[in-house]
Amino acid sequence: MAQPKDRRRVVVTGQGVVSSVGVGVDAFWSALKKGECGIGKFTLFPLEELYIHIGGEVKDFDARELGMTKQFLLADRYSQFAGVTAREAFEQSGLETPLQGEKGYRAACIIGTGVGGITTMEASYKGLFEDKKRATHPLTLLKTIGSSAAAHVSIEYGITGPCFGVVSACSTAPHSIGLVYRMIREGLCDLGIGGAAEASLNWGTTRAWQAMRVLSPDGLFPFSKGRNGTVLGEGAGVLVLEEYEHAKERGATIIAELKGYGMTSDAADMVNPSIEGASSAMQIALDDAELAPGDIDYINAHGTATTINDINETNAIKRVFGKAANDLSISSTKSMHGHCLGAGGGVEAVATLKAMEENIVPPTIGFDETDPECDLDYTPNEARKRDVTYAMSNSFAFGGLNAVLVFGPPPA
Amino acid sequence: MDEVATKIIDILKKNMKEPSDSIALDTPLTELDIESLDLAVIVFDIEDTFGIEIPYNANEEVEDFATVGSVVDKVNSIISEKKSSGAAA
Repeated sequence: MAQPKDRRRVVVTGQGVVSSVGVGVDAFWSALKKGECGIGKFTLFPLEELYIHIGGEVKDFDARELGMTKQFLLADRYSQFAGVTAREAFEQSGLETPLQGEKGYRAACIIGTGVGGITTMEASYKGLFEDKKRATHPLTLLKTIGSSAAAHVSIEYGITGPCFGVVSACSTAPHSIGLVYRMIREGLCDLGIGGAAEASLNWGTTRAWQAMRVLSPDGLFPFSKGRNGTVLGEGAGVLVLEEYEHAKERGATIIAELKGYGMTSDAADMVNPSIEGASSAMQIALDDAELAPGDIDYINAHGTATTINDINETNAIKRVFGKAANDLSISSTKSMHGHCLGAGGGVEAVATLKAMEENIVPPTIGFDETDPECDLDYTPNEARKRDVTYAMSNSFAFGGLNAVLVFGPPPA
Repeated sequence: MDEVATKIIDILKKNMKEPSDSIALDTPLTELDIESLDLAVIVFDIEDTFGIEIPYNANEEVEDFATVGSVVDKVNSIISEKKSSGAAA
C-alpha cells in the first residue's frame, strides 16, 4: 500500500525498561544477551494455597532508593515502574523537561496497563473484608486506577496534550506506542511517550491465573517441545517518540524509526488465537512500513509458551512471510523476563531496538527439543550475531487483540 | 454408573454448548463440544462438587482427561486418597 509522500516520519529518541532481568536498558540488555533468566520463586506474597510458585519479579525495587519524586513514592508499584522508565527514556532523549507552554500541548503521554494498581486494591479489600478495618487508605483509589501511571508521568514531565491509559491485556504497550506514533504522524503532536506498566504479581491475581490452568510450574520455554505454559512477570517498557524533523532540528540522537503499526482483532474467542487475526496485524504493519516480508531480519515474538499461542504464531508468521519465514531470526525474550502482560510489548520493543542497535539477536532460552509444529529459527538458548536492519515486535492478547510494531534504522 | 460418574456427566453437560444425552464413560472428551477454557471451568466445577483438587494444565495432554471414564477414575482415586490420608491424620 503506497503511503503519501509527505507523511510525517516518527523516530525513537528514548527508551526505558524495568524488568525481572534488570532495571534500566543497560542492565536489561546485558542480561538478555547472556541469556540470563529473571524467573524465580515468588517473594512478594505468601505461597499458601498456590501450586504455581514462580514468576518474573522485579527484584529489590525501591522507589526511594531510585530517587523517585514524592508523587511516585505515594503511587502503586505499577506507576513507579512507569515513572522509572519514563525518567530513563526522557533522559536519553535529551529533551528539556518539564515541557513548557505550547511544547507541552504538542506532546502525548499514553501509558497503559493490563490491570493497574490491583495489588493496592487487593491489600485494601483484605483490610476491609478480613481485617475489618474501619476504612481504606485515602490514596487507594488514585493508586488503583489504570490511568494513574499516565497521569503521574504527565505531571512529572509537563505533558499537557493527550494523556490517558490504554487497555488491551497483553497488547497494551504496543497499542499505546502505536497510538502515539499515529498522533505524531497525523500532526496532532510532535512528540510523546508511549508504553505500559504492570505490577500485578500478588496472591489473588496468581490464584486467578492458576485457575485458568495456563501457567507453567517450571519455567517459560517458548516454541520448545517441552513448553508447558506461561510464567507471569512484571515491569514496564516505554519509548519516547518524536517527529523526525523535530528530532533532527534539536540534534537528538535517533535510535530508530518506527515505521509500521498494525492492529487487528480476531473477534472470535477469548483465549484461542486465530491465524487470521495475528497474520493480518503483521501484514498491516509491514504495509504501513512499506516493507516486503524479506526485509525483516528479526521478530521478537509474542511466544508465551502456551501450547496454542506458539503454534498459532508460527503459522501466522509462515502465512505472512512465506518462504522468507525460514530466513528470519525469531526469539521470545519472555523466556528470560517472563510474561509482563500489559507491559510485555513495551519491554520487548526495547529488546527489539537493542537487537537492531547492536546487531545481536537475543535468544529463546530453555529450548530443549524442537516441536514439529514450531519449525522456524527461534534462536535457541544463545544470542546470535546478525545484521538486524528491520525488526518486528508481536503482541497477541487475550480476547484476540493483536498489535504489531515494525522498526527500521534512523532515516538517512 | 456410580454417583461420581453421574455428577461428572451433569457437570460436563452444563458446560457444553449443546448438551448431548449420549455421554458414556468411554466417550472421548474431544468428541464433546468442549474448548480449553471450558475444561478449566469443568475442572473447577468438579473440584467444588467433590471438595478435591485436580492437578491439570491446559498445556499438557493428560491421559486422565482422555475420556469421561478416565476423568471419573481420576476423581475417584483423588477422593479415596483424600479419605485415606484423612483417616491416617
